[in-house]
Amino acid sequence: MTPAGQPVLQVLALTKRYGDLEAVAGIDFEVAAGEIFALIGPNGAGKTTTLRMVATILKPTSGEILANGCDAVADPDRMRQQISYLPEEAGAYKNLKAIDYLRFVADIFFEDRERAARAVAVGREVSGLGDRLDDKLGSYSKGMTRKLLLARTVMTEPALAILDEPTSGLDVINAIELRERIKQMARDGMSVLLSSHNMLEIEYLSDRVAMIAAGRIHATGTPAELKERYSAENLEQVFAQVARDGKEVVR
Amino acid sequence: MRRFLVLLKKELGELINLQTLLPFAVVVLMFMGLGQTLSSVNAEADASVVVAVADRDGGVLAGVVTAALEQAGLEPVAVTSTIDDSTAADILDEAGADIAVEIPEGFSAALAAGEQQHVESWARVRNFSIVGNQDIAALGTALEVVNSTVAAAIGAEAAPDVPPVMLQRPVITSEHVMVGDNTAEASASAVMGFVSQQTMFIPIVLFLVIVFAAQMIATAVATEKENKTLETLLSYPVSRTSIVTSKMVAAGLVALLAAGAYMFGMSEYMNGIESSFSGGPGSEAALQASDAVMRQLGLTFSTSDYLMLGLTLFASILTALAIAIILGAFAENVKSVGTLIMPLMVLLLIPYFLTMFLDLSVLPDAARYAVLAIPFTYPFITGPNLFLGNYGIVWWGIGYQLVWFAIFVTMAARVFSSDRILTMKLSWGRKKK
Repeated sequence: MTPAGQPVLQVLALTKRYGDLEAVAGIDFEVAAGEIFALIGPNGAGKTTTLRMVATILKPTSGEILANGCDAVADPDRMRQQISYLPEEAGAYKNLKAIDYLRFVADIFFEDRERAARAVAVGREVSGLGDRLDDKLGSYSKGMTRKLLLARTVMTEPALAILDEPTSGLDVINAIELRERIKQMARDGMSVLLSSHNMLEIEYLSDRVAMIAAGRIHATGTPAELKERYSAENLEQVFAQVARDGKEVVR
Repeated sequence: MRRFLVLLKKELGELINLQTLLPFAVVVLMFMGLGQTLSSVNAEADASVVVAVADRDGGVLAGVVTAALEQAGLEPVAVTSTIDDSTAADILDEAGADIAVEIPEGFSAALAAGEQQHVESWARVRNFSIVGNQDIAALGTALEVVNSTVAAAIGAEAAPDVPPVMLQRPVITSEHVMVGDNTAEASASAVMGFVSQQTMFIPIVLFLVIVFAAQMIATAVATEKENKTLETLLSYPVSRTSIVTSKMVAAGLVALLAAGAYMFGMSEYMNGIESSFSGGPGSEAALQASDAVMRQLGLTFSTSDYLMLGLTLFASILTALAIAIILGAFAENVKSVGTLIMPLMVLLLIPYFLTMFLDLSVLPDAARYAVLAIPFTYPFITGPNLFLGNYGIVWWGIGYQLVWFAIFVTMAARVFSSDRILTMKLSWGRKKK
C-alpha cells in the first residue's frame, strides 16, 4: 500500500490554539512504514493534543497532517480508514460482551463481513483473553479492558496505530506481553505513533523519539542518538533536561 | 448503510435494557391496574348505596319519600333514633351507611295542608377522590327524585285530572350543541365533560414522551463521555452525521414505543374511569348514544386526524431530540443530564400548563405570539384544532417544528464534527481571563 520510501504519516507545521493558549506551536515529523515513533515530554507538552489531531478528533489551527496521501483536515473520513486510535483514558460499552464489542468495531471498519470476521479473529488472538471474551465488559478489570482495547486498536491492521500511553494501568507481565505484540505488528509493517511516560517502554519500543515540550519539538532521533546528544545515561535524563528547556521557553 | 445499522443496533442495545424498560412497564401496569380497580370499586359501590332513613312521621307521603329513595337506586335502612349532628356518626355506623335522611314528624299532614316541609340529610365525606364520594352524588340525585315524586303525589290528590308527569316535569328542554359547522342535540356541559375526559390524557402522553426521548438521547451522549468511549467513537471511519442520526433514530424509536405503551395504558385507565362514571354495563346504550353525538359533532378523531396528530408529535420528538443531543454534549457525566435538559423542560411546561388551563386566544397578542413561537406548543393545541377543523394551523405547526428541527440538527452535526464535542462544558462564571 505504501510506496517505498514514502512516509506513512507526515506532520507539517502543525499548530493548535485554545484561545490564547498555544498547545502545539508548529511541529514537524514523519513516521515511516513499520516504524515506531514516540512523542515524549512533560505533562501539558502537547503530546495528547498532537495525537488527537492525527486521530482526526481535533481540528488543527494550521498545518498539515497526511497519512498515505490522505489529508486529515480535508478528508477526515478517508483518513480514519488508515488509522486506529487508542486514547489514554478509554472505556468500552459496559453492556456489551467483549467479543461483541470487537465485532461492533470490526463491522464499523469493514463493510465486507469476511474482512470484519478476520479482524475479530485477530482481536481475539491479540487480546489473549480467551473465554473471558464472552463476559460482559462491565465485569472487566482495568487491565483486562486495556488489553481488549489495544487488541481492538490493532485488529483492523491499520497503516498507522496511534497509541496514547498503551500500557497504562497494566501490570509488568501484561505490559511486557503487549509491548512484544506491538513490536511484532510493527515488524509486519504497521506504523505506530506512540506517547508514553514510561521511559523504559519508550527505549524498548521506539525506533525514533521526538522530545516535545511547550508545544515544540526540541530534538528528534533514535534513543541512542538522543542519549549521546544530551550526554545522558538513559532517556529519563534526556527527558528531564528537555523538560527544563521547555520551562525556559515558556518563561 | 451497513455502518449506520451497526451504530443503530449499538444505540438501541444501550437504550433498551431492564433499567430503562422497567419504569415505563411499571407506569403502564399502574394505569391499567388503576383503571380496573376504579371500575370494580364502582361496581361494588353501585351494588349497595345504603341510606339510613329515620321516619319520624310514618304517614303516606313519608312512605312516598322512602319509595322514591329506593327508586333512585339507594337501599333505605330504617333507623329509629332521632338524627342530629351529635348522633349522626353513630347512627351511620350502626346502619353501615355514609348517608342518612330524616323525615320530620307531621311531614305528611303539613304537606297535605299546603306547608313546605324540611327533610334533613347527612353525608359523611370519607375522602376527596372522585370515586370515593359517589354515595354523596347519589344522595343529591335521589333527593331531586324525592321532590318530584312527592310533588306528583300531592298533585294527584289536589288535581286528579292533571297527569302526574305535568306536575313533575312540565317543561322538557332540548339542548343543541354547536361545534364548528356541526350541530347535535345534546347537553353542552355533558359534551364538554366528555371531551375533556377523552382528551385530557393526550397532553400527558405528549409531555412524557418528549421528555423521555430528550432524556434518553442526552444520557446517551453523556454516557459516551462518562465511559470514555466518545473519543474512540469519533476516530472510527463513520461520518459524524451517522453518529448523530443513529443516536436520534434509536431514541426516537424507543420514545415512540414508549408513547404506544403509555397510550395503551392510559386508554385502559380511561375506559376504567368511563365505565365507573356511566355505572357499569347497564348504561352501555347511553355510552353508545354519546359516542354517536360526538361523531355527529366531529369530536372524534378520524384516521387522518390521528395521522396529523402523529406527525405533529413526531416533529416535536425530532425537535426535542436535536435540542437534547446538543445539551447532552455539554454534559460531563450522566448526573448532569437532568440539569442540562431543564431549558427544554421549561419550553415544554409553558405550553403544557397554558393549554391545560386556558385557550391561547385569550392571551394578549404579545404573549400569544411568544407561546406560539415555542415549537412544542403545537402538539398541545393540535387535538382541539383538529376537533374544530382548523387544519391550517396544524399543518403550519408541523412545518414550523420541522424548520426548528433542521436548524438544531445542523447545529448538532456541527458540534459533533468540531472540537466542541470534546471541549464543550458548562462553566458558569468560571471563565478564564
